Amino acid sequence: MSGPRVVESDVCIIGSGISAAMVAEKLAEERNATIVVVEAGAESDRLGQRTALRRRFLDYGESPWRNDHLDGYDVDGIQSRSMQVGGLAMHWGGVTPRFSPEDFKVKSLYGVGHDWPLSYEDLDPWYQEAEVRMGVGGEQGPPDMDPRGKPFPLPAIPLSHNLLQLRDWVTKAGIAMWSQPSAKNPVPYRGRPACCRNDTCSPVCPIGAKYSPDFTWDALRKSGRATLHTRTMVRRLVKDGSGRITHATARALDGGADLEYRARTFVVAGGYVWSSHLLLLSGLANSSGLVGKYLTGHRNVSGFVSLPLRLYPGMNTQHSLVSKQFMRVPRSDRYLRHDLRVWESSFGREPRLADDQGKLLLGDELLADWRRRTATGTARVRAYYDVIPDRESALSLDTAKRTAWGDPLPKLAWRDAPESAALQEWSEGRIRVLFADLARAGGGTLLTTRSDSFQDHPAGGCRMGDDPAMSVTDSWGRTHDHENLFVAGAPTCVTGGCANGTLTFCALALRTAAKIGEGLRSRAH
Amino acid sequence: MPILPLSRRRLLLQSVAWVPLPFVARRLHALAIAALDPRTLRALGAAVLPSELGPTGIERVVAGFERWLAGYREGVELVHGYGTEELRSTGPSPAARWTTQVLALEAEARSRHTKAFAQLSIAERQSLVRAVLEGQRIGSLTQFDRAPHVALGLLGYFYSSPEAADLCYQARIGANTCRPLADSSRQPVPLTRSN
Repeated sequence: MSGPRVVESDVCIIGSGISAAMVAEKLAEERNATIVVVEAGAESDRLGQRTALRRRFLDYGESPWRNDHLDGYDVDGIQSRSMQVGGLAMHWGGVTPRFSPEDFKVKSLYGVGHDWPLSYEDLDPWYQEAEVRMGVGGEQGPPDMDPRGKPFPLPAIPLSHNLLQLRDWVTKAGIAMWSQPSAKNPVPYRGRPACCRNDTCSPVCPIGAKYSPDFTWDALRKSGRATLHTRTMVRRLVKDGSGRITHATARALDGGADLEYRARTFVVAGGYVWSSHLLLLSGLANSSGLVGKYLTGHRNVSGFVSLPLRLYPGMNTQHSLVSKQFMRVPRSDRYLRHDLRVWESSFGREPRLADDQGKLLLGDELLADWRRRTATGTARVRAYYDVIPDRESALSLDTAKRTAWGDPLPKLAWRDAPESAALQEWSEGRIRVLFADLARAGGGTLLTTRSDSFQDHPAGGCRMGDDPAMSVTDSWGRTHDHENLFVAGAPTCVTGGCANGTLTFCALALRTAAKIGEGLRSRAH
Repeated sequence: MPILPLSRRRLLLQSVAWVPLPFVARRLHALAIAALDPRTLRALGAAVLPSELGPTGIERVVAGFERWLAGYREGVELVHGYGTEELRSTGPSPAARWTTQVLALEAEARSRHTKAFAQLSIAERQSLVRAVLEGQRIGSLTQFDRAPHVALGLLGYFYSSPEAADLCYQARIGANTCRPLADSSRQPVPLTRSN
């Protein structure tokens, strides 16, 4: 009986999402190293297919990402089933705010949660590099709220006619808002075209104006600087007596011999679920007992505001205004930090089949009713607020659910730290008051609000820190327990901040790549 | 629908029993599309769609609706986003139900007015549609593939379109279409008959 097929490399990256793409691209550019990437999911549909797939999405609601998940991998508490080349960032909206400086030191500043082992200033150059690699366009916000070491690499997505009116409105309420930074090309960049407002950034940009990791993988494979093995599930990482990881064992999902990946360095880049899951299955990196713990994210309160403005929904629906004005809490106040975003919306002004008296509307009556109700406009408002995670906000192995070959699946349980749990009702109430104040400032009405129970932009599970007893990795993503094992991106986050996390995950991943690169020969040599 | 003799029905059922279900669904969908009466459907469009579209616009919308219906596929995975582990698929094709309803409208017109549905005035057609929908749960214009009646399906199809939004706002917004980014800062140009 033959043994597993052995694949050797300098660096083996497990996962092919956006953090993996950043690590691979940086190492491939700067280091003379063989890179093998192992992805459990299938190839994502090619750019050339996306116009037709988007059409089916628009017409029928069909998923534009076929086969983007694995059968049998239905995990309790997971935020998305997506598992394919490029990961969840094939679906993302391309929104790329940075965390605020305060996010990294909430314990020092406000006495809640835990500080990160690095500061905003430490991460600034990596943010910049991530912005360059993805092609982020943005508008500089007020420097005291939105500090940056260098200007954005690309100009901002212009504010639409709707957003210009909405910015005037929020200004009346004393709130500074600006164009949300986005990895959507305002001008052609790195071979990808400029955005032309197709309005479906999430789930799919049909033209490739939005950055997604497949562009990086295509380029790396074309240049021969990385090899990608798809439909291959890494089941275990294995260490030797010294604690170094020697190899990863894997199964080809479409049959064939099992595989054994041997490498000098291993990078676990499976996002907030599959990274911790693999380490728990492997019994590695867990001397602190914290693998899978401190899952983090942020909750949101959203609402709709009716305004006496003539808006035209559909001008650039996924672009928004953003403010960081509420990310800094007065020391004397209770802890509440949040972002604020404003979009155009058609909420409450959609065409309808029956009038207020329940009379069926047909023909010209229906159109007339719609016109009457769209003489003025609606804005969507949303605030992501910071949630301090509890230690037991955790991923664990689910012995009741197993893969086809008997490995337990993960299960996730989200829990706020006591200080956040105690503040939830008050926090959400304060945000609703802000929305109502905003509405009044514009002579409008707050129509409705809601709070989602789930935490968005999930992260954590392998959090970073200086103390090996209190963290899984150091600030570079290197596991405290294994010198040649790194975790990249989202899992290493200490908190989820109060803004979309992807750019931060990428910046952290690039920093990890830089540390890995120190042990590899430079391409110049 | 003609009533088949018992032996033919049994034969049909027996033959269907060993054919894969997706194949049966596709076949039934195709048969329903073929049986959809275009004349009555267009007369329905003229009755329920806004007259501002004009005959050409109504023809365009109804023809688009027919293409949409023909292109419907059952059991295809729907888009799944953040916040859920649930996967969902498209439901059964509405074609058979809607085709039957078009036939029923025609039959009702002949029964009440001794004329074809298409020969009725707009008001008479609307009256028939209202009578059919009276007491029914009409739902919303979104997710129109689940509309309980073909008239609502047709309305949902049209009012979900960028064309309908442009008509409502009387402006060339062009939602979901490729448009220069730089133009977005300007108010959309008014909709005129020429554009």
